[in-house]
Amino acid sequence: MTATVERPAEIVPREPVNKGREGWVRRAPLLPALVFTIIVTQLPFLFTIWYSLQSWNLVRPGSQQFVGLDNYVNVFTDSQFRGVALNTVVLTVGAVLIAMVLGLAFALLLDRQFRGRGVVRTLLITPFLITPVAAALLWKTVLFSPTYGLINFVLSPFGAGQTDWISAFPLTSVMVALVWQWTPFMMLLTLAGLQSQPHDVLEAARVDGAGSFAIFREITLPHLRRFIELGIVLGAIYLVNTFDAIYMMTQGGPGTASANLPFYIYQRAFLGFDIGQSAAMGVVVVVATIIVSTFALRLIFRSFQEES
Amino acid sequence: MADVVFDQASRVYTAGAKPAVDRLDLEIADGEFVVLVGPSGSGKSTALRMLAGLEEIDGGEIRIGGRTMVGVPSRDRDIAMVFQNYALYPNKTVGENMAFPLKMRGVEKSVQQEKVRAAADVLGLTDFLDRKPKALSGGQRQRVAMGRAIVREPQVFLMDEPLSNLDAKMRVSTRTEIAAMQRRLGVTTVYVTHDQVEAMTMGDRVALLADGRLQQFATPADLYDKPANRFVAGFIGSPAMNLFTLPVSAEGVHIGSSELRLPREVRGRISADTVTLGIRPEQWAVANGRGTAGGGADGVGGDGAGSGVKAQIDVVEELGSDAYLYAHLDDEEQTPVVVRTGGRTGARRGDQVVLTPTSEDLHLFDAESGERL
Ligand SMILES: Nc1ncnc2c1ncn2[C@@H]1O[C@H](COP(=O)(O)OP(=O)(O)O)[C@@H](O)[C@H]1O
Ligand SMILES: [Mg+2]
Repeated sequence: MTATVERPAEIVPREPVNKGREGWVRRAPLLPALVFTIIVTQLPFLFTIWYSLQSWNLVRPGSQQFVGLDNYVNVFTDSQFRGVALNTVVLTVGAVLIAMVLGLAFALLLDRQFRGRGVVRTLLITPFLITPVAAALLWKTVLFSPTYGLINFVLSPFGAGQTDWISAFPLTSVMVALVWQWTPFMMLLTLAGLQSQPHDVLEAARVDGAGSFAIFREITLPHLRRFIELGIVLGAIYLVNTFDAIYMMTQGGPGTASANLPFYIYQRAFLGFDIGQSAAMGVVVVVATIIVSTFALRLIFRSFQEES
Repeated sequence: MADVVFDQASRVYTAGAKPAVDRLDLEIADGEFVVLVGPSGSGKSTALRMLAGLEEIDGGEIRIGGRTMVGVPSRDRDIAMVFQNYALYPNKTVGENMAFPLKMRGVEKSVQQEKVRAAADVLGLTDFLDRKPKALSGGQRQRVAMGRAIVREPQVFLMDEPLSNLDAKMRVSTRTEIAAMQRRLGVTTVYVTHDQVEAMTMGDRVALLADGRLQQFATPADLYDKPANRFVAGFIGSPAMNLFTLPVSAEGVHIGSSELRLPREVRGRISADTVTLGIRPEQWAVANGRGTAGGGADGVGGDGAGSGVKAQIDVVEELGSDAYLYAHLDDEEQTPVVVRTGGRTGARRGDQVVLTPTSEDLHLFDAESGERL
């Protein structure tokens, strides 16, 4: 007699019924949106790549011809391009970090109770609500102007009211205007972070013997880390594309001393009419931006995952 | 090690409002385990937080080891606190959490680690020292919070409902662990809870608060046997004591349609026309018209039907070892009454029973003031 030992049937995941068709039925209505998105974002990019392989200057009609990677070689050997790229990094990183430090300081002030807190908060947020062009104009004329600017007016009693700030420090001037406009954003983000901090943890730290500074360093700052990272990444994404402030305040000058990449590409394309060259620059910038932002976004998503 | 004194200590949150803690007087001896108990909103947490330095002392004084704490910041009070939601530092590992109070006091790193390891050993946390609090169960988090308090070797432990986030079984086991640990360490402890079972089982003495006022500060046995007023009588004990406000008769009180005779000495304490009589559920003997009901206790205090009270059973709760009978008296208001008897009484809903107090030790309270007579 043979005893049949029954093996337990192996369990395999069951295929969902009609998986493929279900998926299509559900997603088909989204198709027009997808097509539209591809047309308005991906096609222009493909055109740009095509232009970047041509020598094509609008000022000389009929000059269009295929030159392969020549434009790219020019981009990387162009010392002006490198200077402008450096400007972009300095302007973006500088403005974001300074705005973050100031924003955090204001957030810490606003996180405590005092009379008139609502008014102060509104006033501190206002710069963020102003149209960037108007803000740049404000800084250029009302504050920085050598003849009737408020800064020189305030400094004149001390005998130092003659500086033409924008000519003397073009990149710094632009950065100041950007910091002024972006500090409220950083402040709001970090204030949200501060107010989401559980009270009992802070009280526990007090009982455990921590002073104010120790609490800030040991408890508050680690808690704020993801808010700070989020602010830095979002701020950088916006500020790397800064155009209006530069256009209004300095026109990128003197020379290219205060130009960043978007402004420089604009100059080459619409003032120099060099389509091929500026298309190549655009492609390089897009690729570089994708690489940098991939790392930056991975950073914030990681720290958010850690938290939740 | 230190004693703790609340001396007319008060806290008023908003000027003009009723104090959250009203002239609290407590003298807690060195090494004593005192439980603050009371209903929600009675000011227990506020009192504890005043001791911790997390709330102002608006009136009176609190002293630790003879030193006044008015104006002394938390970190200079040499106390450790366990919070209801544990308040662990989310960005620090278990080990760093426990070491934090030592680090803040500038204790040497090697000493820190030694103490943390010793505490983790006792609490069974050795395997979790490198984890973040998020990756722990509720019970483990609770132990980390305890560990953070004991590595400090403070003068006083403060605990605000540290067990309320645990499941029932964990709560019972942790309760005994905390009590045992406190006895071993001998550190003065003030423990806040709304749970009278925790209060009765853990505390050397229990302070009962209501509406910010101290009602009674006594050992658990005294609190149960000699409640200072009607509020204490109703709060301590489960099911709660039966409290009846009754007209006084020549020899006792009228209850329902019958008269309950009181010993002459007890009757002598009553001067008003009405009195509040308190009888604990287990102080009744149950009989029915056709003889004793099931396994119910025999009446001892009742001499004949004259002392018994007629009642009708509404609900029977069988708990195995015990049974609770929820009944109402045969008076106009149908006053509810709770009786605790041995298990398997056989009593049914709708049964008519005669209840007789089994003990001479009844509780009498002034009908007006609620104070014990
Ligand atoms: N921060 C606060 N501001 C104003 N009132 C408070 C505050 N904290 C507690 N109270 C009030 O004080 C009283 C006692 O509260 P609490 O000490 O938390 O009670 P318990 O811990 O006994 O439940 C309550 O009436 C409560 O509403
Ligand atoms: Mg409380």
